[in-house]
Amino acid sequence: MSCEYKRFTCITFLFVACLFCRAIAAPAHADEGAADFFEPRILSRIFPAADGFGPLQGNPPAIAVYRGDKQLGYVFSSRQVVGSTGFSGKPLDIVIGLDLEGKIAGLELREHHEPILVIGIRDADLERHMQQYVGFHVATRVTPVADKRKETAPETAPETVLETATEEAAVDILSGASITTAVVNDVIMRASRAMARSRGILPPLEDDGRGVVDYDRFESKDWSALLREGAIAVLRLYNSDVSQAFAAQGVPAKSIKRMKQQLGEPKGRFIDLYAALATPALIGRNLLGDHLFGRLSSDLEPGAQMILIAGDGRYSFKGTAYVKNIVFDRIQIIQGENTFKFNTGDHRRVESLAVEGAPILRELGLFTLSPGSGFDPAQPWRLEILVVRSYTDAKGKEIEDYAAFTLPYRLPGELIERAAGVEDVAAERASWPLWQHAWADNQGKIVVLSVALLILLSALVFQDSMERRPRFYRFFRLGFLVFTTVWIGWYAGAQLSVINVITFLQSLVTAFSWEFYLLGPLIFILWCFVAVALLFWGRGVYCGWLCPFGALQELLNEVAQKVRVPQINIPFTVQERLWPIKYMLFLGLLGLSFYSMRESVVLSEVEPFKTVFSLNFQRAWPFVAYAVGLLVAGLFIERFFCRYLCPLGAALAVPARVRMFEWLKRRPQCGRECRICAQECTVGAIHPNGQINPNECIYCMHCQVLYYDDHRCPPMISRRERKETYRAAREGENGDDPAREGGHVDAV
Amino acid sequence: MRSDTNNSARQAKVSRRRAIGVFAATAGLPLMMSVPGVARAAGRNGSLFEWNGTALGASSRMILSHPDREAARRLVVMCRDEIERLERIFSLYRSSSELSRLNRGGRLDAPSHDMVRLLSACRRFGDLSGGAFDVTVQPLWRLYADHFAAHPGDENGPDARALERVRALVDYRGVEVTARRISFARKGMAVTLNGIAQGYITDRVAELLRAEGMDNVLIQLGETHALGGHPQGRAWRLGLTAAAGTHGEGAGHDEATGENVVELRNRALATSAPHGFTFDREGRFHHLIDPDSGNSPQAVAGVSVTAPRAADADALSTALSVMEARRGAQMMERVGDATAWVVLADGGEITLGRARGSKA
Repeated sequence: MSCEYKRFTCITFLFVACLFCRAIAAPAHADEGAADFFEPRILSRIFPAADGFGPLQGNPPAIAVYRGDKQLGYVFSSRQVVGSTGFSGKPLDIVIGLDLEGKIAGLELREHHEPILVIGIRDADLERHMQQYVGFHVATRVTPVADKRKETAPETAPETVLETATEEAAVDILSGASITTAVVNDVIMRASRAMARSRGILPPLEDDGRGVVDYDRFESKDWSALLREGAIAVLRLYNSDVSQAFAAQGVPAKSIKRMKQQLGEPKGRFIDLYAALATPALIGRNLLGDHLFGRLSSDLEPGAQMILIAGDGRYSFKGTAYVKNIVFDRIQIIQGENTFKFNTGDHRRVESLAVEGAPILRELGLFTLSPGSGFDPAQPWRLEILVVRSYTDAKGKEIEDYAAFTLPYRLPGELIERAAGVEDVAAERASWPLWQHAWADNQGKIVVLSVALLILLSALVFQDSMERRPRFYRFFRLGFLVFTTVWIGWYAGAQLSVINVITFLQSLVTAFSWEFYLLGPLIFILWCFVAVALLFWGRGVYCGWLCPFGALQELLNEVAQKVRVPQINIPFTVQERLWPIKYMLFLGLLGLSFYSMRESVVLSEVEPFKTVFSLNFQRAWPFVAYAVGLLVAGLFIERFFCRYLCPLGAALAVPARVRMFEWLKRRPQCGRECRICAQECTVGAIHPNGQINPNECIYCMHCQVLYYDDHRCPPMISRRERKETYRAAREGENGDDPAREGGHVDAV
Repeated sequence: MRSDTNNSARQAKVSRRRAIGVFAATAGLPLMMSVPGVARAAGRNGSLFEWNGTALGASSRMILSHPDREAARRLVVMCRDEIERLERIFSLYRSSSELSRLNRGGRLDAPSHDMVRLLSACRRFGDLSGGAFDVTVQPLWRLYADHFAAHPGDENGPDARALERVRALVDYRGVEVTARRISFARKGMAVTLNGIAQGYITDRVAELLRAEGMDNVLIQLGETHALGGHPQGRAWRLGLTAAAGTHGEGAGHDEATGENVVELRNRALATSAPHGFTFDREGRFHHLIDPDSGNSPQAVAGVSVTAPRAADADALSTALSVMEARRGAQMMERVGDATAWVVLADGGEITLGRARGSKA
């Protein structure tokens, strides 16, 4: 009756919420047609060099862009080009500029108000993500990378390797957001390819093969192998080279003579200059060693490149000017139309090389090129060293003069995947829908998770047998929690979030699409399991077994209790008044999400999940302090966060009211004669009256183990004693040794 | 006009470090290719490919010999990139170029090596020419440009006081060049590299192609640089049109006669024609300004210089256009390895300097 009533309230609540969603979401659709991207202002942002624009025409429609009489390329709307065969309705509209060679010239986000796409991403993040595509050739297949760089598939374009462990990009790691970047990738590439094909840019590609760098491949190589393969390039300059260069520049013979004297031995070494692209693991990890390479590449802005420059000999390539003037005045990198100079901010000192067989070098430095610099690691480049010499001219005046030497560098072919080759290999896969790629790429993880869930499921189905075996139960429980924390949390990154719930609720009234959810295979499987478990047993199955943060808290508390950290017992009446906090947080988040998805994403930081699992605590200190604070609180009050603050738990508790089974057993005596369970319940979910509160229960089954414990549960004890007395009587009759019996009887 | 040296001594010299100097060939005025049908002719080493485009506003072309069409195309793309890269540094007409930033702010931090090297070379040629080659004439040029924009057809030019004021800003020694910073000694100074940058770009492109293993290339980016000779084994041949009375560089009278053909092999050629650009109809004010007087000298009708490198040839021809004959001759003696062919306004011709290894 009261239960019926609650169920009704809950359903009504959901219904009203949905209506509310619809009401709010409706205006978002109203301005769909407002993408008047053909405003010259926008067009010239995308093609800054353009001075003329044609009309929107053709199929699919595009605007031809001109400079003078010369056509530069096309500008089009992704929605108009691929909208009809769209992904999940029309999730977002990106205005794309494509030049006549098939390179993306520029992008601008025009529409992205559909809440499902804004999850976990701020405008600036999405914009930054998109800008990675500028200059990208559309012939190359792009796979969105949800995982860290080391796990990326080989055909992954460097431009999409965003999700490294830096603060900004890490936003993308969260389940919702990595899906968003996948959608963005898909929209950009599909629209651009469709346009390139329709305008004859793509099929007979006359490009000299833009490549994609394989950053991940690694095998141990020594210095001489790297040198031989061209992974390290070297320029050896002798003193005579320098004097000859200045002579060729027209420096008078007399001055050259003096310069030669100054330089000394003509065959003496002036400088041995080495250069290597250190971003690919095959080169960087070998040269710098695992530790330093790992640290540096995780510090690296996504898409940025590292170049190692080393020198030995009398001449310093760094010079001394940079100390005072910030600029390294003796080196520059040249690639195509670009000249790159470095300042101290781009420079990391390297003490020594880790690679076997490396010579001892006088100077080492690692220089970074930011992703926006226009540097393309797959294309050849050259390092130029400026040699500064002073000499006295004919009139006896001291003159400083300059000569330059060039060290050409070309990344070894084995590290470059040619666009065409990739296209062939991926030809079959390319025809798959995007989500199938995600599943194929994550096969291993999917299998592991499925097996783990099956094990958990059987543990739930056969819970009675497990509960009767306390030692096995304890072993199983701890083992599973470790798996949940380490594998699900840190390795697979499959921590669910309240944002998932909010997205789902919103998608029900906007554009629900299975495909969208299928993009994150692990998250998808977990949610399916949670949905079923919710219906059967309540929210506790997720909270108590599958939530990495919950598991982490429990494990830490376990340790804390071992070392006798005093536990704080919160009186039930206080506890009851703390519970609502999480519901308020959830409702607040939900409500806010109708107003602004972005704001609610910010507020969802009350979940420390991102800090702990996605970012490994590598984050601004307030976030870290918050997460650590929660974990510390958890040492004194078990699962402090789960009990009072977790909005996800609250979100699950509400629908869990419709659950079908009550498999957590109680006795009539519970709460009346005995309150052991209530006292021992780790989250205080058992009311003093013995009733288990399913909103709070984490289904750890501790009370069920007690339930069967005939040494602790009073009714069980008395039952055992009755049995024993009975047996003793029987055995006494049979003349057995009564002393043996006595050893088994515990004092009650 | 005597053809320039293409003897074995020169070719031996060429085997120096490829990254340093690439030796180039001879002289000419408005450059007329006298290599009939060259674009389609097949040489020993493969087909000849021709590219036409622009560099620093001048129409440009490259002819190279390569067996593989695709590879040739790739080389051209590479050169085009290099030209664009250097234009982003030296262009006077792009507001974001290093040169424009220097002129605007009076100083340039973290200049590219190219800027440092070219301005150092400018100072060297300033010294060498006794100040006749001066990159800081830009304020004078500006003065003339503004004056004639405001008073088209004026016969007297800007008034003497204004000229005097601006002339005080002209002194190449006021450009302080270091690898970390370039700065002007006086406020209001400005630099133009139009008298040398084309040559420098030509040289850089030649270096690039040389580094790619190209042996037979003719590069004309405002100035000319010949790598090796024609693939048929002879030198590259360039026709020179008579300078006197020629208005406008590249005004294509095909007057290339046997007399006016210059042969180039591993050498560069640069030409200055004072009347290639004039402010007034009579040509009393033109683009080659004497830094000393602030006027446009009238004695010279055109100068072509051959030197190992196009930048040198370019700077020397610019200097000779405003120099008195005797001083010019002295300078050419000091230079050593360069030859100048000067066409005087009265129709006379003089040849100055000598090429190393030649019997001048």
